[in-house]
Amino acid sequence: MGLFDGLREVLGIRAETDATRKADPDDLFGMSTAYVTMEAELGYEAVGEAALCFSEVDSADFSDAVEEVHEILEVGAEETGTETEAHTDDYGYSWVILRDSDFEDLVTSLNFAADTLMERGYGSRLLAALFGFRDTSGRQQDGRYAYWVYSFRRGAYYPLVPKGTNDRDSSAEFKLESKLDGELDIENDKEYWYALLPSTSGKHPWE
Amino acid sequence: MKWKADWGLRGRMALTMFLLFALYVAFVGGLLLYFNNIFFAVVLLGGFSIAQFFFSDKLALWSMGAKEVTEDEYPELHRMLGRLSQQADLPKPKVAVVDSRVPNAFATGRSQKNAAVAVTTGLMNTLDSDELEGVLAHELAHVKNRDMMVMTVASFLSTIAFLVVRWGWWFGGGDRERGQPAIWVAIVASLVVWVVSFLLIRALSRYREFAADRGGATITGKPSALASALMTIDSGMSKVPKEDFREQSEMNAFFIIPLKNDFIGKVFSTHPSTEARVERLRELEREL
Repeated sequence: MGLFDGLREVLGIRAETDATRKADPDDLFGMSTAYVTMEAELGYEAVGEAALCFSEVDSADFSDAVEEVHEILEVGAEETGTETEAHTDDYGYSWVILRDSDFEDLVTSLNFAADTLMERGYGSRLLAALFGFRDTSGRQQDGRYAYWVYSFRRGAYYPLVPKGTNDRDSSAEFKLESKLDGELDIENDKEYWYALLPSTSGKHPWE
Repeated sequence: MKWKADWGLRGRMALTMFLLFALYVAFVGGLLLYFNNIFFAVVLLGGFSIAQFFFSDKLALWSMGAKEVTEDEYPELHRMLGRLSQQADLPKPKVAVVDSRVPNAFATGRSQKNAAVAVTTGLMNTLDSDELEGVLAHELAHVKNRDMMVMTVASFLSTIAFLVVRWGWWFGGGDRERGQPAIWVAIVASLVVWVVSFLLIRALSRYREFAADRGGATITGKPSALASALMTIDSGMSKVPKEDFREQSEMNAFFIIPLKNDFIGKVFSTHPSTEARVERLRELEREL
């Protein structure tokens, strides 16, 4: 903890400054090479879906910004062919769901969306980008989903393997972490590996 | 989304802390003039305070009858807190529930890593999900601003002053050369320090409530939801039976809205009035 964080705590403004801190999208493109390792070495296949999760702001300007994100994605779709969908989950959080069989296009489109929100001054509302994978090695019979989550607040990735709706498969997550360490910027404090679990078992967290 | 900084609030907070600090320096200096063994007492009480500080999270949960709950028992509460923590850049705190009809919430824990947020069943029944989210975010702001630690440190010497007032003869026990008057000087000085610091600490506590409201509103992005939660809780409080009030009055400083008490006036209150808090949230809402 730095000196300034301490001062912010004393003045009671740390909550405010940390909640409005800018997004850190530096390593978002790291996924466009890491997926090759996932497929070639680990037996995980990309499911062709990714999603951007952000918390809303109760204002007209914010709604405009979200609309702009979708407009830009539609324009981009002519080139990338990425399908997009807007979704609000049970907890009032917004998702932009992206579908594309070309993984690199998926990463590009997701970057477009994140960039647009950041340009409109809402980068601090970006929570996470999720990239969906499925275990095709036969280790698990149900071909469980696994995700790489990019945390915009921390500027780092972490693995997420949901087990039902309230639990996670930590050993699978541990394996993913150790195999991709170095290739991706991985959040080393596990306390920040937030569980973005699905509401229905076997579905994506954004469904 | 960035709001205008509230320099007035920061200024008042800094001034209050400075005054407390100055008061304590004078107090300790004054006591040292009279007593040689005061260090022993400070170390003893310091140890006591540190222990209290380290166990305060468990102590607070225990004294409130709050039980930690799992993801399976309260999935929605867990998920809501998870998302809010992510926005606040905090590890997800422990989640506890108090079985009480009084709609209230509190946060405890000396640092981000061992924090806990507790809500009453009454709170969950009274508020809609946006409002509940607002309250949880307010509590997370307390964790982020380390209010538990700030208030413990701020009250440390005040506690000593109180103990000197109460058990003054014990402090002066070994000091026979100077005789009785020294003890009385110390007791009167301690009384003054205790009363003045009490008022300053209460003021500090109110400022930190305003700060946590701002923090909470930044986390959710919905100042109006927190405002409506505060008003709902405030109106709900007066309908609650008396027994609960007395049981929980000692925990007031940590509550989102303290329990009403007729004879305690504004300067003695740990929290600003709901009207003042709602007014400030309204200002934030206008800036959105």
